[in-house]
Amino acid sequence: MSGLLNFSSNMFVVAFFLYCAAFILFAVAIMGRRWSNRDPESHRRKWGNIAFGVSSLGLVLELTYFFTRWAGGGHIPVSNMYEFMSFLSMMVMVAFTVVYLIYRKTILGLFAVPITIIIMAYAAVFPQEVQPLIPSLQSYWLKIHVTMAAAGESFFAIAFAAGFMYLLRTVNFSSTDKKDRRQQRWVEIVFFSIILVISFIITVFAFRAAGYESVFTQTKASGTAGQTTSVTQTVEYKLPPIVAPYQSKIESYQPFLGMTKPLFSAPSWMNGINAGRKFNTIIWTVISGIILYGILRLIARKPLGRAASPFLDGIDPDDLDEISYRAIAIGFPIFTLGALIFAMIWAQVAWGRFWGWDPKEVWALICWLFYSAYLHLRLSRGWQGRQSSWLSVLGFLVVMFTLVGVNLVIAGLHSYAGTN
Amino acid sequence: MGKSRKKVQIIILLLIVILGGYAITTQVSGSNGKPTEGSKAPNFDLLGLDGKVHTLDEYKGKALVVNFWGTWCEPCVKEMPALQAQYDKWKDKDVVIVGINAGEDKMAVENFVKQVHVSFPVMLDPEKDAIQSYGISPLPTTFFVSPNGKINKIHLGQLDLQTLDQQIEELVNS
Amino acid sequence: MMKEVIAFKNTKCECGHQNPVGTVLCEACGRPLEEQDRESNEVLEMRYDGMARRSQRANPNFIDRIWNFFSSVKIAVYMIILTLLGSMLGTIFPQENTFLNIDPSTYYKETYGTAGWIYYKLGLSHTYESWWFILLLVMIGASLVICSLDRVLPLYKALTKQRILKHKQFLTRQRVVYQGPVELESKEWVEQASVHIKKRGYRVHTLDNALLAEKYRFSRWGPYVIHIGLIIFLLAVLARGLPGLHMDQHVAFPEGEIKHIPNTSYYLKNEKFTVEYYSEQDLPKEFQGKNKVLPKLFKTQATLYECTANCNDPSKQPTLKAVDHHNIEVNDPMDYKGLKAYQFDYDLTPVLRSVKPSLVDKKTGKDYGTFQLKIKDPERNYKVGPYSLELKEKYNDFGLDENGQPVTKTPNPNAPAFLFLIKGPNLPAEGVHYFYFPKQIDKERFQQDAINAKMNGGSVPLELDVKGMGNVDLSMSTTYLNIRVDKAMPFVWVGAAIVMLGLILGFYWQHRRIWLRIDDGNLTLGAHTSKNWFGIRREIAAILRKMNLEVDEKSLDNGGNHS
Repeated sequence: MSGLLNFSSNMFVVAFFLYCAAFILFAVAIMGRRWSNRDPESHRRKWGNIAFGVSSLGLVLELTYFFTRWAGGGHIPVSNMYEFMSFLSMMVMVAFTVVYLIYRKTILGLFAVPITIIIMAYAAVFPQEVQPLIPSLQSYWLKIHVTMAAAGESFFAIAFAAGFMYLLRTVNFSSTDKKDRRQQRWVEIVFFSIILVISFIITVFAFRAAGYESVFTQTKASGTAGQTTSVTQTVEYKLPPIVAPYQSKIESYQPFLGMTKPLFSAPSWMNGINAGRKFNTIIWTVISGIILYGILRLIARKPLGRAASPFLDGIDPDDLDEISYRAIAIGFPIFTLGALIFAMIWAQVAWGRFWGWDPKEVWALICWLFYSAYLHLRLSRGWQGRQSSWLSVLGFLVVMFTLVGVNLVIAGLHSYAGTN
Repeated sequence: MGKSRKKVQIIILLLIVILGGYAITTQVSGSNGKPTEGSKAPNFDLLGLDGKVHTLDEYKGKALVVNFWGTWCEPCVKEMPALQAQYDKWKDKDVVIVGINAGEDKMAVENFVKQVHVSFPVMLDPEKDAIQSYGISPLPTTFFVSPNGKINKIHLGQLDLQTLDQQIEELVNS
Repeated sequence: MMKEVIAFKNTKCECGHQNPVGTVLCEACGRPLEEQDRESNEVLEMRYDGMARRSQRANPNFIDRIWNFFSSVKIAVYMIILTLLGSMLGTIFPQENTFLNIDPSTYYKETYGTAGWIYYKLGLSHTYESWWFILLLVMIGASLVICSLDRVLPLYKALTKQRILKHKQFLTRQRVVYQGPVELESKEWVEQASVHIKKRGYRVHTLDNALLAEKYRFSRWGPYVIHIGLIIFLLAVLARGLPGLHMDQHVAFPEGEIKHIPNTSYYLKNEKFTVEYYSEQDLPKEFQGKNKVLPKLFKTQATLYECTANCNDPSKQPTLKAVDHHNIEVNDPMDYKGLKAYQFDYDLTPVLRSVKPSLVDKKTGKDYGTFQLKIKDPERNYKVGPYSLELKEKYNDFGLDENGQPVTKTPNPNAPAFLFLIKGPNLPAEGVHYFYFPKQIDKERFQQDAINAKMNGGSVPLELDVKGMGNVDLSMSTTYLNIRVDKAMPFVWVGAAIVMLGLILGFYWQHRRIWLRIDDGNLTLGAHTSKNWFGIRREIAAILRKMNLEVDEKSLDNGGNHS
């Protein structure tokens, strides 16, 4: 790697830690209000400004990362999962900064900055080397499409943060009424999903630090009219294999906690070599997610929703609702332009067809339809407050599935495989 | 005012029904522009082995069987006698059988025609224009075109004498 | 008769204005029309300014009912949700059109088991071409047209004929409200306030003690502009399917040959095809040494010809004129008057185009001369020195059938073979038959000499021999181009551009209105915006501050988020 690219990676790491610091400072600004001998309002303002300053510095460094990598790699760094995810994290910070400057709500930082941190950490899971571009990716339309789409999606992330905050603020966590219980349960599920993502990242990094590796081979016979050709593929597991690929042989197995062979094989419909590995990753994520959630529950000694809701005391829920809606209103046109119109232009230039019902395209359309429904419901049917907050939470889930899930699940289980 | 509004409503609803109906039928029939049974047979301008240019229009008013074939294609070769027999049987009854060769040299086609004693008109499609406009993928493919130029039936794969006879009978009676 | 009178009474406001059926707020003064509504203190429903929608009528008939169905936003949202869910279903397994050559009736079952079989049986393997999916899109299109028509006209009417003096209840029941005493005389206060309001970009209308300020009204048309754009987009997509507007074919172009593009008057010559790969040091470390190749460039240098004469007459040679030259790359198609050629695929197998063999005396090695033998459409007769060669038969891909007869196995010139009848000195009068395989490998594989000896009952004294590669003409590669015509595309883009324009108008500006009236030294102010209440509150607080009224932004909020 050239010096510039090295410098760029360092900037990325520093930005990451600055965001972590900003998160802690935002927490101090919000939680410290109730510390003795101080005026809560001036405390919040003072620490909120410091936290915003630190997060802005982090953004400057992440921008430095981005542009130095651009210069060092020779093309705009949005062409693999690592680059795209780190770009998305940067855009989330940009969106946060824009919304923060409009509304000046310190509490927003407490929820938006962690989204950036998680996305950045997720980015780091993927191989970080600059890859040269294959011909179909050598198009400036593609670059404009990807960056604009990420910009739009990042506003949806802010809408998610504000919407989730609205729910934490308004759901009655002490009630045992059936309706309230349902709301509480769903808030808990959102928390658990976020924890799943975090635990996935932690698991991957923990085993990577330990240098874990097991290898499987799979021989597949593909018969076409009498001629059978067999293809042998190998797959490296970076997490201890609980599940082996469908009809595979162990090449090497590094024992883990007394486990010396996989507990079972992937079912036949997961016949791709990487499908088994991905399934294994999912199992690990769920296991470690449950453990992490359990630990957090033990610390809080109550459901996470109820534990988190006091932070939001004194925040006007209407403002949160407004922020959530405003973020979507800002993001929707950008998303339409980036994720649909520029995508169509690129597809037209590269493949000669502007729309091909490819899963990724379809999911971008699904996101768009979802937020259209949100806007219609809000503007014409008066869905505000709780209903629209739930929609903004769900909407971001759909967005994340489009960005990550489609590559992992839909494309991965049947055809080609992503990098992780 | 009330009247004209109603008219506008009806016109708009009608337009929607027409456009919607068109959208659904074209998509569901899913032909991608290829001719299908019931559609009009595409025109062609092809050089025959007789050295003359032939077009679809020549055969207007006659029942037409268009067979797409190649010398390398075994089922094509096998169905040639059946086609020839039917050509002989129907040639006085306003039924024409033509063979369109898929992009081979004139010489190869001529030799082949001589060898298998084919006397029905055979045309060459060196640039595969007709192959393209008829949307041919496997060979042989046979189109049965009624005297008014509509495609009555498309047969993929080898034809035997009996089916061929039946199809032509049907075509003549249609 | 009585009934009609009552109906009349119900929609007539106390200000004397006669409102159409379905009106919520009086079109003139804004007073709620329903008795019940008048007693409430809830925030007013300001959608379409309380106007009746076009479709709301006293006695709907059949047409009205259909119209009402499509004009309902609730139905529209249902259709959006259904389309969304339908689209999701289509991504569970790959769609049929992602494969070039499969038999879907067996493929899904074999690849995905029972689930795949059910998926195929339900028709989900071609979700996006299924009747119900298209029907949903058509219904969304209908809803777009009817919803817009139904709302845009009343809204336009409401916004073009606004009264300045509104009913007090109309003001106090807005979401942003301020009430309080003022010190100045009412007219003077209104005049001073209007100066400050104007400074913020509002258009201000005053009438004695009342004021109406408004800005960015165009933002209200945003949603309708979006809908118009979407309708154009959908119609353009539909129009693509019309005959003659659309062409899509894949054509192979061997290097160096002018080839006709079927069903057009164009010919294209692939001058040269280039494929480049990244060098080892360009690749990231994880790829290095793993024999991975990553393509860098696919390029076809293409010249497009247009036929100017003898075009549809295959018996004559067409007259061609070069009209365009372009280096076709992925992401950089050739585009000539709407005919587009995209780099699609390539084949690097060399294809023999012609050879220039010498006729040689086997014994003496004497060279009688050469002739050009084209693989495709060869000449029939050749004269070489004292000898005449007549081409009798030709096979592109030589082989023997089950009866031992020579046949061509495929139409591709993989193993070309020629049968000549050679006549001349020192040969029998009827000549000798000579099989010629231009490719050395075929010559050995099919034992050319043995065949010839067998055919003539003894060895042939002559031989055809290609002396050196200089006498071989190869087409080094074949490029596959995707030739497309899509005449409706400009309309697709126009539709998309209009959608974008509408989105920007509707989302980045907000229509804001402020009404105020002063009654007996008491100011009543109400304000409405299509979105961003935070912003309008801030703006009004700033205006009131200029008028020496200190107000907390938040206290202007009259609630109403929870409807």
